[in-house]
Amino acid sequence: MKRIEVKLALPVVAPLLDVIRELASGLRGELAAPLGPSDLDAEFAAAWTSELLEAQTADVAALLAMFNEEFFAEGVIAFDEDNAEQIVRATAAVRLRLRELHLKTLGDEMLESGNVELERLDDPVRKAFMCYLFLATIQELIIQHLDSSILES
Amino acid sequence: MTRGQSKTEGSPAPHSAVATELEGRWLVVVLNDPVNLMSYVVLVFKKVFGFDESTARKHMLEVHERGRSVVWSGVREKAEAYAFTLQQWHLTAVLEHEDAA
Repeated sequence: MKRIEVKLALPVVAPLLDVIRELASGLRGELAAPLGPSDLDAEFAAAWTSELLEAQTADVAALLAMFNEEFFAEGVIAFDEDNAEQIVRATAAVRLRLRELHLKTLGDEMLESGNVELERLDDPVRKAFMCYLFLATIQELIIQHLDSSILES
Repeated sequence: MTRGQSKTEGSPAPHSAVATELEGRWLVVVLNDPVNLMSYVVLVFKKVFGFDESTARKHMLEVHERGRSVVWSGVREKAEAYAFTLQQWHLTAVLEHEDAA
């Protein structure tokens, strides 16, 4: 099985985990990408949302599980064919939530370009933006190295 | 997703053409968001619709540049299944009837 290990700087990444954990808690009750406007009847929409929430919660749990004892001992996280799909989806969910709750002040254009002057940001926004970039990096790594296992699963 | 999703792919059932004629076609439209990475959107389109790289990129760029892309059209039930799967991947998808588009 293909397995990717990434060595991270523990002092940099550990504080970002608090942000991810806090968002993960909110994502148990709310979809990262709300349903678009539709004419679905209320009962169907509720069942749909509930199923999506269940899947989203499982995905985010897989993301958090990556930061295990090995991470806290050696700073290493690992992706493989078993967790790649869930983690890539969870990073998308948490990034959407970060934008919704902490990064709206930056504006969408700045978020899309990534052209942000970190030193000008307030502490909480800077931390949220670092987290946003960190999750994008994880997502890119998985897409680069494990896209075929996601496509074939 | 994964195997369950293959229910929404493959050859249409024989009754689909009749159903489409009766109900009209429904469009699955993906809307732009400033968060999801281009590479992620391409991956999702390949995974969900079985698009090749260039078709997936074409739709991704359409979403990025025009704000929306029609990624599939056909019977309502199947369109709903696709919209659900896209939502599971955190893309914003809406259904539109072709007459309203």
